[in-house]
Amino acid sequence: MSTLTAVGNHLTLRFGKNGIFYLFAAPFAILTIVMGLWPIALSIQTSFTDSYTALSPQPTYVGFSNYIKIFNDPVFLKSAYLTVRYTLLAVVANLTIALFYAMFLSSTILSRGAWIFKLCCFLPVVTPDVAGYIVWKWMYSNDFGAVNAILGAIGLPEFAGVSSPSSVTAAILIAEMWYHIGFYVVIFLANFAMLDKSLDDAAQMDNAGFWRKFTRVTLPQLRPAITINSIYALIQFLKTFTVIVVVTKGGPGTSTNFVSYYAYRQFDQAQYGEATAMATVLFATIMLLAFGLYWFNQRKDWR
Amino acid sequence: MKHSLPIKLLAYAAATLVSVFFVFPYLWMVSASFKSTEAILTRPLQLIPDVISFKAYESLAIMSGIPLSTYVWNSLWITFASTIFTLVTTAFGAYALYRAPKLPGFNILRVGFLLVIMYPYMLLILPVYLVMFKLGLLGTMTGIILFLSVGPIQFFLFEQFFRSIPHEVIEAAQMDNASEAKILLRVVAPMSRPVVMTVTLITILLNWAQWFPVLVISRSTDTYTLPVALLSLNSELGVNFQGIMALATLTTAPVVVIYLLTQKYVIEGMISGAVKG
Repeated sequence: MSTLTAVGNHLTLRFGKNGIFYLFAAPFAILTIVMGLWPIALSIQTSFTDSYTALSPQPTYVGFSNYIKIFNDPVFLKSAYLTVRYTLLAVVANLTIALFYAMFLSSTILSRGAWIFKLCCFLPVVTPDVAGYIVWKWMYSNDFGAVNAILGAIGLPEFAGVSSPSSVTAAILIAEMWYHIGFYVVIFLANFAMLDKSLDDAAQMDNAGFWRKFTRVTLPQLRPAITINSIYALIQFLKTFTVIVVVTKGGPGTSTNFVSYYAYRQFDQAQYGEATAMATVLFATIMLLAFGLYWFNQRKDWR
Repeated sequence: MKHSLPIKLLAYAAATLVSVFFVFPYLWMVSASFKSTEAILTRPLQLIPDVISFKAYESLAIMSGIPLSTYVWNSLWITFASTIFTLVTTAFGAYALYRAPKLPGFNILRVGFLLVIMYPYMLLILPVYLVMFKLGLLGTMTGIILFLSVGPIQFFLFEQFFRSIPHEVIEAAQMDNASEAKILLRVVAPMSRPVVMTVTLITILLNWAQWFPVLVISRSTDTYTLPVALLSLNSELGVNFQGIMALATLTTAPVVVIYLLTQKYVIEGMISGAVKG
């Protein structure tokens, strides 16, 4: 404490009475720069260099040729398409189900014990993702996985899971939903707890039907939760990575070769220029989306 | 509103079914880790095996030539050190940015931080490899710990808490001519106990689960943590299914225990950190 006071006094002399705040912010600033801004800058810089020279002291700068290359790479284009398609699917599925599940959990039907259900659905959120996805990978196993054993026990047809291109998207969507949806549910639950009950009663008096009441009364009041959840979910699913590394490795074929995984593979194969160009494109997309959504939700009146 | 009994029962049955979807993978994992191969192949849904076998756990004693205790120790040490480091850097950083937002450079710092957390995390780690190389931290615990200490949720939680402190409290201390160090240590710190508790818990859970930075910064299995060991066991050729489930159980059990004991703090903390961000 005495050293802190001494350093504080010194900084105060130099920079005025707020000088000590530079000391407080210093570790945070150093970490943000060294572990964040510097690598981002390096990554952007690398995206303008030739892969073979990228790691050498004097890399050859090639302008936008890496960007041109990736936008002419059919694998990347397919990967971008798959990523966007999967993201839209996942966002819509997760948010819709989370919304209705939260509405159900906060309804008066479940007067007691709703907290246990909330506890269960949030559990995967804090579980190490690698462990969770590895269990899912084996649950999808065609030989002794639980998924097909359950389907078989209730007389439903077999689910090919991650072994077939036609079902792999659904399979990882379910696994990712298991992992992420609790977060969205709990955000919605917090919003439901703040709803204005008198508006509900007024709608009841007007004899409004369920759907009308839902779209006119409930939904507009859920705007904060919808905003947060949609931004989070969009960013989350655009970046889908762990589940791919653990469960599908981009396959079967290239059917789950999403951008972040493809960029990682390219980096792993020393295609540094192309990999960092992809990373930069993904970064720009996420930034535009996040700001766009934020701006959209700030402005638009939903009622 | 009154609901009839059958409707109530139906609702509870539905909610239970959904909850089983969330909990079942844990039960299946634990159960498989104690099963014999024969039981796994013939009765995949039996959760309590007829014969409980500890073979899978015994098979984990040494993995890729390294004792399990090394991975456990790495996990504990990396989680512990990075949690302390995250706490200190984000708490002081958020406090400084809250108290003196107009200081030259602080606005740039805030924008820079926002950029960093928006960068796709998985892809940030690739150039971090280059940074670690340049700093000579590749393959070191220090490198892993430093990288794990960048904490967005933690920063927002602290910032949100500091904003909730009534201005009068700090103004009163300033009137008494207390130094900034004193205001922080004597006035703000004692009030911060709940937020420190929340951030500590969340950081432990998040950092325990980290795998990609550990994998990328490591040069050998010496610095692997449990999730990374689990991943590499899972990608080995000769599949030791029960072993994988046993290691997954060991990786998951501590967080499940912490979560069940402190669920209120964890859920509320994660949510308010997100709402702010």
